[in-house]
Amino acid sequence: MASVAGGSAAQTPPAAPGGSEHSLRAPTRRQVFERVVSLREGSIIVVTIITAIYFSANTSSFFTGTNFKTLLPYFAPFAILAAGEVFVMILGEIDLSIGAMYLFAPILFYKLDTSLGFGLVPGVIVTLLLCMVVGALNGFFVAVIGINSFVATLAMLFTFEGLALIISHGTPVATPGAQPPLGTFGKVFGGGTYAEIIWAVAIVAILQVVLTFTRWGLYTVAIGSNKLGAAEAGVQVKLVMIRNYMLCSLTAALVGIFEAVRSATVQPDPAGANEILFLAVAAGVIGGTLLTGGSGTIVGALIGALFLGILKDGLILQGVNANYLLFYTGLAVIVAMSANVYVSRARRGHSGSG
Amino acid sequence: MVDPAEPKGAIPEAEAPDVVPPSSAPDDVLRVEHIAKRFGPVTALRDINLHLKKGEVLGLLGDNGAGKSTLIKIITGFQKQDSGQMFLRGEPYEPKSVDDARAKGIDTVFQDLALIDELSVYHNLYLRRERLLKPFPLLANRQMKREARTALDEIGINIPRIDVAVARLSGGQRQAIAVARVVNGDADIILLDEPLAAMGAKEGAQILDLVARLKGEGKVSIVMILHNYVHVLQACDRVSMIQDGVIALDKPTSETSVEELTDIVVNEYRRAREETHAQEAREREQAPGA
Repeated sequence: MASVAGGSAAQTPPAAPGGSEHSLRAPTRRQVFERVVSLREGSIIVVTIITAIYFSANTSSFFTGTNFKTLLPYFAPFAILAAGEVFVMILGEIDLSIGAMYLFAPILFYKLDTSLGFGLVPGVIVTLLLCMVVGALNGFFVAVIGINSFVATLAMLFTFEGLALIISHGTPVATPGAQPPLGTFGKVFGGGTYAEIIWAVAIVAILQVVLTFTRWGLYTVAIGSNKLGAAEAGVQVKLVMIRNYMLCSLTAALVGIFEAVRSATVQPDPAGANEILFLAVAAGVIGGTLLTGGSGTIVGALIGALFLGILKDGLILQGVNANYLLFYTGLAVIVAMSANVYVSRARRGHSGSG
Repeated sequence: MVDPAEPKGAIPEAEAPDVVPPSSAPDDVLRVEHIAKRFGPVTALRDINLHLKKGEVLGLLGDNGAGKSTLIKIITGFQKQDSGQMFLRGEPYEPKSVDDARAKGIDTVFQDLALIDELSVYHNLYLRRERLLKPFPLLANRQMKREARTALDEIGINIPRIDVAVARLSGGQRQAIAVARVVNGDADIILLDEPLAAMGAKEGAQILDLVARLKGEGKVSIVMILHNYVHVLQACDRVSMIQDGVIALDKPTSETSVEELTDIVVNEYRRAREETHAQEAREREQAPGA
C-alpha cells in the first residue's frame, strides 16, 4: 500500500462496503501478479527483478554479499535525493537545484566546522538549516513570484554551484570527521558501510507515510492535480509548495554530506553534481512519478534508484568498457520507461487508478 | 448616491438601469454594500448592494460576464473588493481567505467545483476538514470513508463507490460531490455558483430537492447562481439580477415572472446593440477627418 491516496481499487483493503469483489477468496497466482502490476510501482518492480535476474544469470559475481556492498552506494544516495524530488514533482514542478545543494552543503559544512569552529554535529545542523533556507527561496520564486520552476531552480543550480566554487576556491579538502579511524559521527553520516542505506530506507519510509497518510501529502497531491481547485478548497498552496522545496533541499544537502563523508573528500565538482541531479530525477520518474504532477510514489523512487544502481553495477561486473556505461544507461532508461508507460496503460484499462 | 472612489461605468447615466440601493432587514445574515471590483481596464462590479435573510434562498441572475462569479468569490474570501463593505450578522465582515470565510460560516461551491481529480471521493469531501487519528497527525481514512457514506446517504446523493478517484465520476456526480462537500460542512451561509451546470434533468432535480430540504430546515441561507428562470422561480425566495455591474432588480420570486425576467434581459441586449451602433456611427464620423 505504497502509492498516493486515492491510488486504486486494487490496493484498497476490503473494508469498504461493496469493495473489490475478488478480495473474499484467496487470490490466485495470476491475481497476485495482476495486483503487483496494478500498483503504481508495479512496472518498475517487475523491470528491476528482470534486470537483476539477467545479471545473476550472466555474471557469477552479481548475486554475492560482496557485490551487495558495492551496490549500496550506487543507489542509496539517489533514493534519498529522489524521495525529496518526488515531493516537488508531484506538485507538477521540478527542482534542479538539488545538484547545487549536493555540492554546496559539504563545502559549507567544512567551512562551518574548520574555519568557524562550529564542531561536527552543530556544523551539520546549521548546514542543513541554511540549505533549507535556499529551498524556501526556490519555493518563493516558484510559488510566490511565479517563475517557471525549471528556470528558477536552474538559475539557483548555477548560483549555488558557482558559490560552492567561490567558497572552496575549486580545491578539494578533507571532510571533517571522516578521516580514519572513523568515529561515531563519520560512521553515522555516511561513512559506515550500511549508513546510507539505513538512512535511505528510513527517509523513504517516513516520507511515503507523510505522502500517503498526512494532510501534507494530501495537499501535495491536490496542488499537483488541480492547483486552483486546491486553493478554492482552502489549501495554502504557496505554503505547501515552499515546504516541499525546503524538504527537497534538505534531502539533497543530507546526501551531499553523506557522500563527502563516505569518500572522505569534499570535491567541488559541478559536473559530477549535475550527473547526480539527473540520475535522481530519473529515479523518481522511472519509479512511477509523473513529471506532470498529481501523482507519485516515494517507494517507487527507491526502486527506480535501485534499478539504476543494479544496471550500473551489473554492467561494470560484465566488464563493459567505462566509455559505454552512460550509453547503456540511456538505452535501459528508455526501455524501462516504455515498459512503464505500457504497463500503466494496461493498469488504467482494468483497474482504473487515476 | 455615488461613491467618489468608485470607477465610473462606460454607460451614460440616463440609460443605465436603476441601481438598487442598500437595504436591510433585522434578520439579515449577510449584507453587501457598494461593492466594486475592477480587473485592469475591465469593471466587473460597479456598485453591488445585496442582502440575505436567515433561511432565505436568493437566486442570482445575470448575463455571462456580468460579475456573478466575481461577487461570489469576494464574499467567500477568494478575491478582495476594491471598495465597499460587507456585514455578517450585523458585524463588519472582511474575509482574509477561503478558510477564514469558512471559519465564519460561509462556504462555496465554485463554478469549477474545486474537485481534485486524483483524490478519492471521500478525500474530496473532507478536503481541509480531514479527520485525524488523534493524537497522531495521520489521516483517519476509515472514519472519513464511513462518515462520507453516511453523509451522502443523508443528503440523498447516490455515488456507488466512494474510494475511487473523482476523475472517474460523471459530470453530474462530480457536481453532486462538490455540493455535498459544502452542505456537509458547518456553514450556515452557502454560496452555489451554477450548481446545475453539467447536470442532467434527474441529477439537477436531486440538487434542487436538496436545496428545498435545506430551506425547509431553515438553518442555512443560500445564494445560488442560476441560468434557468424556471429553476429560479421554483427554488428561490427572492431574485437579484446583476446588469452592468449593479443590481438591476431585486424582488421576491412571488412578485416576478419568467416574462419580466426575460424582458429585462431583452432590453439589456437592445441597449447594448444601440450602444454599439452609436459607437460605430461616432467612429464613422471621425474617420474622414483622421
